[in-house]
Order: sequence, then C-alpha cells, then structure tokens
Amino acid sequence: MQLSVIPRILVVAIAVAGVAARREAVGTEAAAFPADVSAVLGKYCGDCHEGDEADGKVRFDGIGALSTAGRIDLLNKAEAQLFFGMMPPSGKAQPTAAERSVLLAWVQGELRRHDASVLDAKRRAPEAGNWVDHEALFRGTEEAIAFTPARRWLVSPQIFLQRVFDVFELPQRARDGFRNGMHGLTIPMALPEHSGIRDYDLTPLNGGHLVTMLANAEWISRKQIRAARVKAGQLKADQFDNKSDRFSPVTPEAFEKVILKDGAPSPEEADAAIETQFERVLRRPARSDELANYRKLMSEAMELAGNTEGLRQMLQAVLLESEFLYRMELGDGEPDEHGRRRLSPRETAFAIAYALGDREPDAALQSSAREGRLSTRDDCEREVRRILADTTLHRGLIDPALSIEHPGEYYLTPHPKIVRFFREFFGYPMAVRVFKDSQRSDGIYRVPDRGTFGTPGFLVVEADRMVARAVEQDQHVFENLLTTDQFFVYHNLSNEKGAALMEGWKTVFETLRHTDWRNDPERVTAEHQELLQKFVVPGGMKAKGNGRHEVDLVRLMNLFEDTFGRGGRPFTTFPWAHGNRFWHAPMYNLPRTPTEGSYGKDEPFDYHPVQPFTMPNRRGILTHPAWLIAHSANTATDPVRRGKWVREKLLAGSVPDVPITVDARIPDDPQRTLGERLHAVTSKDACWKCHVRMNPLGIPFEIFDDFGRFRTTERLEHPDNIIRQAEKKDEGDVYRTAPFSSAGVISGTGEPGIDGEVKDALELMERLGRSVRVRQSIIRHAFRFYLGRNEMLSDAATLRAADRAYVESGGSFKAVIVSLLASDSFLYRK
Amino acid sequence: MNRRDFFHRSALATGGLVLAPWLHQAMGSPLAQKAPMRFIFVHKGNGLFPDVMVPPSLSAEDAAKERAREAFSVDLRNHELPAWMAPIAAHKESLTILQGLSGMMCTTGHHTWQSSLGVYRANERPSSIKWATVDFELARLFPSPFEHIELACFPDGGGNSRGNIEGIDVGFSARGQGQPNYAFGSPKVALRELFKSVAADRSDQNRYALERKLLEFTAGHETALGAGLPGSERGKLSSYAEAINDIRRRNSEVDGMAEAIRKHLPVLDPKYLADSLTTTDRQRGHTEILLSTLISGMTNVVAFTVDELGTPYTGLPGLEGAGPVNLHDVGHGKPAGNVPALEVRTTLRTHHMTLLDTIIARLKSVPEADGNMFDNTMIFYFPDNGETHHSHGIEWPFMVFSGRHAKLDIAGRYIRLPKHGVPGHRTLGNWYTTILNAYGNPIRHFGDLDMALESQKIPQLGAIREFLA
Repeated sequence: MQLSVIPRILVVAIAVAGVAARREAVGTEAAAFPADVSAVLGKYCGDCHEGDEADGKVRFDGIGALSTAGRIDLLNKAEAQLFFGMMPPSGKAQPTAAERSVLLAWVQGELRRHDASVLDAKRRAPEAGNWVDHEALFRGTEEAIAFTPARRWLVSPQIFLQRVFDVFELPQRARDGFRNGMHGLTIPMALPEHSGIRDYDLTPLNGGHLVTMLANAEWISRKQIRAARVKAGQLKADQFDNKSDRFSPVTPEAFEKVILKDGAPSPEEADAAIETQFERVLRRPARSDELANYRKLMSEAMELAGNTEGLRQMLQAVLLESEFLYRMELGDGEPDEHGRRRLSPRETAFAIAYALGDREPDAALQSSAREGRLSTRDDCEREVRRILADTTLHRGLIDPALSIEHPGEYYLTPHPKIVRFFREFFGYPMAVRVFKDSQRSDGIYRVPDRGTFGTPGFLVVEADRMVARAVEQDQHVFENLLTTDQFFVYHNLSNEKGAALMEGWKTVFETLRHTDWRNDPERVTAEHQELLQKFVVPGGMKAKGNGRHEVDLVRLMNLFEDTFGRGGRPFTTFPWAHGNRFWHAPMYNLPRTPTEGSYGKDEPFDYHPVQPFTMPNRRGILTHPAWLIAHSANTATDPVRRGKWVREKLLAGSVPDVPITVDARIPDDPQRTLGERLHAVTSKDACWKCHVRMNPLGIPFEIFDDFGRFRTTERLEHPDNIIRQAEKKDEGDVYRTAPFSSAGVISGTGEPGIDGEVKDALELMERLGRSVRVRQSIIRHAFRFYLGRNEMLSDAATLRAADRAYVESGGSFKAVIVSLLASDSFLYRK
Repeated sequence: MNRRDFFHRSALATGGLVLAPWLHQAMGSPLAQKAPMRFIFVHKGNGLFPDVMVPPSLSAEDAAKERAREAFSVDLRNHELPAWMAPIAAHKESLTILQGLSGMMCTTGHHTWQSSLGVYRANERPSSIKWATVDFELARLFPSPFEHIELACFPDGGGNSRGNIEGIDVGFSARGQGQPNYAFGSPKVALRELFKSVAADRSDQNRYALERKLLEFTAGHETALGAGLPGSERGKLSSYAEAINDIRRRNSEVDGMAEAIRKHLPVLDPKYLADSLTTTDRQRGHTEILLSTLISGMTNVVAFTVDELGTPYTGLPGLEGAGPVNLHDVGHGKPAGNVPALEVRTTLRTHHMTLLDTIIARLKSVPEADGNMFDNTMIFYFPDNGETHHSHGIEWPFMVFSGRHAKLDIAGRYIRLPKHGVPGHRTLGNWYTTILNAYGNPIRHFGDLDMALESQKIPQLGAIREFLA
C-alpha cells in the first residue's frame, strides 16, 4: 500500500504544477516533489494521509485539487508537524533525522518560494525562541560567526522616561521624585504582559506611539522654554496651563537667547539652539544636513509665528525624531571578512549602559568611548566588570510602581536591571494581573485596585526579595532560585532591628505575664513604665488607650499572650496600627495574622524577624505564591500553562500553538478534580501529542491551589458541592474535597537522574535545579534579555561561552552578563 | 431614488433645512452612502441609584418584582417616567431604561477611570488599561476624520488629581492597551483645538499652520531615513512615517470639510468661553461642541464626562448661592446649603436630562436620508461607577436613547434583568458585546469576567441575544 501511494502523490504533484501554471502564475513551480521527498512521504505519511478518510483531513494525494492558498495551508500544517517532530505520531515508524530533514527542507522551500511560511513569520517572535535546536547550540560543533542584524530597538518604558529626564537634565533626586512618571507625559510604549522576556527589537513605531509623542512633544517643548517665557514676560511666574502641573525646569541658555531676542536670531544663535536640542534629545551633535534642515524649519516657523513658537517648532521636531525612541545599533566602519561591522564606540557605550541600566552611559563609559578605550573585547569586559562591581551607580528600586505602596518593606538593590531579567523570565510580577474572587480565599486575598496592587502586590514584593538576594549573593544563582526554601514574609524591618525589637517585646512579655495586668493594668503600667518605654512606646504607655490605634498595656499583653504565650511571635507591626495591611500570611499556609477579637481562633502566629527563613512545602520561586498566582486561571489552577512554562523556559522545549479548531477548555464536572477533568479532555491521541509536553510538568504543581496555598486535598469548587455557604463577607463557601494526583514526569533532558517520574512539584524542582539543560535554557533566555532577540545558530559560541562562564565562576550570573556583553553577538552588526 | 428625487423629497420633508454634511458628499458621488451610526456616551459620577430609574406607575406585581430585582419588562408607553426625567419625556418612544446590569469586574467606588467603558479595573496607572474602550471600538466601526472626541468636566482635585479642568488631559476612554485617550476639559479649549482648521483668529491660524508644517517636516524626514534600509528595519521607520501621513490625510479630510465645519461651528455665548465658568455652563458649552462635531461629520462617536465625583458643581438651578456643591459630600448624604443630598442628586439628574434633550432635539432637527440624524444615533447615559457613591458595581443602570435605525430592539421599554448571582444575569460586558455585535464587531465577549459569577458557574460570555434586532 505504501508503494502504491508514491507514484500517486508524484503524479498529482506534477498535475498540480500544470494546472497551477494555467490558473495562477504564482504557483507555477510549486509542489513538484523531488524523488527523495516522494520516497519519504510515501514511506512514512501515505498510510494515514491519503483518501477521503485521511487523518485530520490532511491528505497529500488531494493536493492537486487545491488552490495555491490551499496548498500553502496544507504545507504550513506539514511544516509545523515536521518542525516540532510531531509527525509521524509515536507508535508509527519514524523517519531518520536525514529523512526528516529532506522533507522539512522541501516543505520550507516551497513555502518560502511564496514567502508564506507561518513558522518563518514567527521565528523572530519571543514564543519562537526555542525553535533553534538546543543540542546544536551547545554541542560545540557549530562554527558560524556570530552577529546581530543592524537594528533600531524601541526603547523600553524605563529608558524612555530616563531619556525625557535627560532632555531636562534632571539631577538624580528629581529623577527619583518622578520615577513613576511626570504629569503631562505619557509613556508611549508598553511591554507585552506575559511571563518571559518581553523587550525584543521587533516593535516598530506606529500610530499609537505617534499620537502619544505628539502630545508629549507639545508638553516637553512647552516646559523646556517655560522659564525663559516667564523671563520674557510672556507668562506670569505662577501661570500654569494646568494648576496640578507646576514643573518648571531651567530653560537652556541657547533657547533663552532666542526667546529674549528682538528680531530673528542670528544663524549662530539658531544653530546653537538646534545643537542644544540635539544634545538634549538625541545625545549627539547635529550633522550639517540636519542643521540646515532644522535651521530652515525654525526660520520659516519664526516668520509665521515669532521667535518663541518658531523655536518650539524646532524643539518638537527633534523630539519627534524616531531616533529619540529607538536604540540605534547599526555598526560602524569597514566590514570585516564576514561582512560584519562593529558597533561604534558610542553605540557600544549605549548598548552596555542600556544592558545594565536604563540611563545613558555614565561619565567613565563615555570617556572610554571618546578616548578610544572601548574598541576591543577586553575594553568591553573591563567596563562591564567595572559597572557590575559598582554598588552605587545603578542602585535603585526593583519596581518603582510597587515601591509607592510598599515603602517599608521595599529596598534598594545595586543592580535592579539584573533582578528585572529574573522577574521577566519567571513572570511572577504578572500575579497582579490575575483577578481572583476574594471570598474564595476566605476574604484574605485583596484584589488590586485603585492605589493598591492588593495581595499579589505584597507577594511580588516578597518574591522580589528572594530574587534580589540570590542575585546579590551571585553564587549558584539558578540552582538557588529554583530550589531554595528560604522565603521572605512581612519583612518590613532589617534583620538587626527586627531581632532587637522582638527580643525587647519578649522581655516585656516575660516580665509582665505573671503580673496582674488584666485586673490592675494601671498599677502594672506605672510600675513597669521604664521597661515599656524602652521596648515598646518610647513616649510612654497608657494602661488603657483610646481603643483605635493607640498601644496600651491591655491590648499589648493580649497580643503577646496570643503569640509569645502560645509559642509564637507577633508581627513587628501591631494589628491595630493605623494603615497596617499585612494580612496575607495564609497565602504561604502560615496562620492568619492575629487581630483583636480573633485571638486563639487560629494556629499561633510565629513571625520571623530574621529573614529569609525556612518555609515548609516550598522549593524555589516556582513554588512561591506570586509565581503560582501569575500562572493560574482566575478560579482554578492551570497545569497546562504551568507545564508549558516549565517545558519552554526550563527545558528549552517548544509546544505548538493550540489549533484554531480546538476549544481549549476543561469541562465542568462536579465529581472530578481538575487533574482528572484535564486528563479526560487531553488524553486522546490528537491532544496528547502536545499535552504530553505540558501536563506531566504542570500537574506536580497541583499540590498548590490557585492562590498558591499548599494543599493535600482539592476543593471541588462547584455549586453542587457546597457543604456550607458563607455567612460573612470574609468567609468562603465550604466545599466537598477530594484527593488529587500530583505525579508528573520530566522528559527531554536526556540526563540521568533528571528525566523520570516525580511525585510532586517539590521533587520536580529539586531535580530541575540539578539539570544542565535547565541551566543552559536559562542562559538562552538571558541572551534574549541582553540581546533583545532570539538566538540563532550562529550565536552558539556566544551561548557556550556564557554557559562556561557560569559554571567556571561557581554560578555567577554576573559572569554570564560579562560574557554576553563582550561577545561577537553583542558587538557586531551585519 | 435619484438625486433629483432625493432633493425634492427632502425639501418637502424639511422645508429646506441644512442637510447632514455626509449627505452632501454622498449625493455628489455615484453611489449614495449609508448614513453612519453615531454614538454618544454620557457618564456621570457619584453613582446612579437604581430605585430612581423606576417608573412610578408600575403594577403592584411588577413593583414587587422590581423590589426583588427579578426580571421583567414593560412598555414605557403605558407608564409615567420618573419626574426627574421630564425634560426627555418627549423622546420616550426611543428611551430604554435598562436595569440589572452589573460591573463587578470594574473599578468601583469613588473614581473609576476607564473602567465603565472598558470593563476592567482601570486606575490611575495607564498600564491598567487593558484594551480600547467600547466607544473607541464603535468609532472604529464607523470611521470619521477625528475617529472619536472626548469632552469632560474634569474633577478638580480629589482622587483624580490629573484632571486639567481648563485644558486637555487624560480622559475616561482608551484608544488601546495602555493608551488613555485625551479629553477636552473646557469648551474654550475644545473649540480652539477641534475647530482650528477654520479658525478666524490669526494666532490660531498660525498655530494650525505650524502643526501642519511640523507633520510635513517629520514625515519627510522619517521617509528619507527609511529609504534604502532592509525590510524589517525599513518597516520600523516607514510605519512611523505612515502614521504621520495618516494624520496628515485626516487633516486634509478635515480641510475638505471646512465648509461643513464652518457651517456648524458651535455658536457659543461668550460666557461658555470664559476662563472661569460654572459647571453647568461648562456642560452646556460641551454639549454645543458635541453637537457640532457630530453634525459636521468630524466624528461619529463622542464620550462626554458630564461630571465626576471630584467635579466641583456650580450653577445648579436652585443651588446657585450654595457655593460649589461637593459631590463627595452629597454622596455621603450631606446637604448642599439647605438642600438635602437626595434633592441635590435629583436636581443634578434633571439638569443632565435637559442636556440630553438638547442633544436629541437638535439631532432630530438635522435631516438625514428619509428622516433625521437622530434616526442614526444611540445615546447612553450611565454612571461611571455603578449603583451608588461607594459602589460595588452590583448594579449599573443605563438610560439608552435609540434612533429609528438602531440595531437593538429595546426602544420604549423598561427592562429589569435578573439580578447578580442569578442565572440569566447580565454584565456590562454582555451589554457592550451586544452593542458591538449589533454593529458589526463579532467579538465573542468584551470586557473582563466577573469572578464571583465564574465561581457560581453562571454563564457570562457573549451578547444579550434578546436585545438584538
């Protein structure tokens, strides 16, 4: 039967070419199967993809009846199946690598002839990052020369903001004050909201950017000249377009001269203004042709509307230059023997500066670029090492938006951008985007709202601390992040302060617990006022306060009884303190934070003043509630998504897109757990060929619910299963529960001791933390973060060097950065 | 119908009134265009009590259903409207009072930013904007030179401190993810910016000319930069240059409409253009701007923030001497002067109705095809935050005015939908999906989902089929 198919396909293909020639010029050369392709098709595909009963309605013998569009559609399906190694299905005879290569090359050739390959169109997108064969990258035989295509890379929102600060030449203090934006300025770009590296060099400027930039240019230009206009009497000092926006920066001297001058500015004055704006906005001098163009623009505008508006016309035009919004990495000088140009020293300086921070190059880096000390790989290494060793240059907040709500527990880290890589890679900050019904968490979970990121905001801050700690330690960073059981919870004081406070409180409790504080608090307070002042309220404590936010002896001792008295420790902020918002401990399966009126109703609360501390039933960032929420559905866990994440981010694997004909939903069934329902709907052959790559890696996380709480049974959340309905707002309905499976399988590493069955997420993470492939997969993602693109085969040497640097340095991520930023991939353009 | 017939009939019908500008264009071309649909979204702050929406003449049985929030519907022809709706009583046949929608997936409470039009939890951070608001989606279905115009009586202080009451500032609509729209805060600035193509004032003319030159310069510059670059890199510049040219094309279209725009320039009493004006005058001024932009064909969609919780109210009938009315205080039941809070609320709503009456009556006076411009208009009046001052979004009352050619079959009815948590309950998302589906956007569901309904396994996706004509 197989043999009979071969000539049929071949004949049909030849016929197709003839028909196509008559009907559509574009199809004239299409679909003529070479003999080797026919042989492979016949041998491995003919059985199933022939005739009216062809599997998946994909039939190669019917190709003759298809239009060009239909053929392209068919070949695209074939390309995806071949590329992802999904056809022939398991259990059928498999082609050799060479045979598969022959078939794939032909299919791709046909599609590329029409520029119609869906895979090609996606190849540069972030989701296609793993399409380059992992083994080929790391086996060490790839000898292609590395480069990055010459490019414009849209600046990130953070870099854009700093560029605007540069326009006003704001000092650091002012930049800190405006870290969450300036009134009147709208950031024109946004990074996509998903887990994984987000800042790629693919985004073109579009109409949305333009509309925003027109408004921004209007606002910035007005602010640039405001002070001079006041001086010229065109505005009163207290006259503002918007009374809420009283920003009034210094006007550059060159602009002031033009505004204050009676009559048109001289050519020199006009050029000085243009040069000033170029330096402020584009951070470079204007070329002579640019000077001429802008001089003409400004002169014509001044003729029409006077000096001030004419000047502003020029200021706006420079602000609207696409160069203001792009990172320019075009390369310079003569091409080398491989056709590559090296980044110019200036481009190199900016590329390094933006890789390690959001601001333009620091003075030392600029000097190096200017003075010819940034032209070799060693120069780059030296500068990168210098900046990474500097703990003050980039020291700053990991997430300025979160810092507003979390001033106490948020802290500065020497290199926020490194933490940003791990935030993007792990994707846990996306927890703030996943809405949950608070009642399902027994009223603990607060949804992000106006002025607050709610409970997920707290969890993200605490995950940030874990990451920042690993980054700052810079030893075995990946292994640490994947397997650590050292967590931060409610860490709002330094370890020293927290420990001292707790010791003092304990002393107070031990001293007073056997006094008659309940019946005679006045006397006890008076007798121990010195102790209370020393350890609790320096200004003096009352026996009985006003009952709202005031600390008094009775409420203090009641709290201490409930915590110290039961073997625990209270949180460093009293539950009655004004603005106390720390209530989310149950997200970690810790007891509720004690509140007055609820003492004794929960397990004793035991606060750890010295952090991090050992957290039971957690291993690494993937078991942190922030990650688990970020990778959950609104009302349920999401084993498919979590499994896909592990497959793609840690195992450098790929999963094809969900076919558009598939309604990817898990059906309701009140009797079964989510895992059972998922298995029922994905275990068919057609589904399992993809789901086998995800489910076994996602199911182990079922030991946590969708709020990230560890569990041993699953609540069957369905109206039919309600045992008791909530009676209060902060109560959840009580549901019937059922045992669930968390057994999974690691596959695809090829490493002994890694691949195989795991009983739950804790074992999964322990094994993945030891995997070479996982390490290399993270290196690949680091490459994407620092290079802003997917790796190509020609980047193999760069990746191997980075991997080597990590291993040889004892797991230093900084070593990886140095290696990447001194690589040919980083420094050469073609 | 040929061109001569049309003019004959319309002259008979209108007595020679001015035609809508699109008709002038249409009749000059071989194929007559269909009139576009217009949408006006008027939203208010401080909540809208569901109880005040109920016709007082309901039967005892229906009144009981209303109290129990059970689904029912009655023909408004057989009922009196609540007294505060008197100013729009003449338009009762096109009115729908729609009750029982919820918006628990929105930001609720004091300030809601783009939530009520986007159906997500928007806040002061543009990053909270998940997608274009429904008014922008409709604007894209009915393209116009300006696409969409937003007018706002901004809050002046309070929670939304960004409201630039006399200028242009971030509005309550959104163009896309992370892209807030900009709204005109005063009639003066709206008039100056929107009608600058026909400005009589020399400095405004110069400003307009400078804007043109700037775009021309930038477009030419970016096009030249992109020439000779390879594919994807060329695209990074050409898309920018193309976007600039799109604006220039739009400007050309606007220039081509100069006659129509000039004809429909808002005729504003100088008091509406003063630097300091009462809130009610600001609203009346904005109403005139709104009408002019629609009638002239500059846009087919207008969003109008008639007030917001932080808007200091002045000029209210009967409250002129009470000083600025603080809506927040009113929300907390405090009187304004001697006027009880509930009465202030009634006065406010009644005033809003006079604005709506002005809009509807004016649109009805503009002939269009075999009828008038209102035939092709839908107007929505609703709160920006739901049912009350400290709202939860459990209810989101709407008044809808549908012209004759509106594609929803709801006009002339009081409709009470099943309450929240009951099968058959509908959300703001269902409502906007219905409108979008009706006018050609096939979106499966617009807006975020309500997690409480999701927990209760109550279906909440898709359009309200019963409303579709």
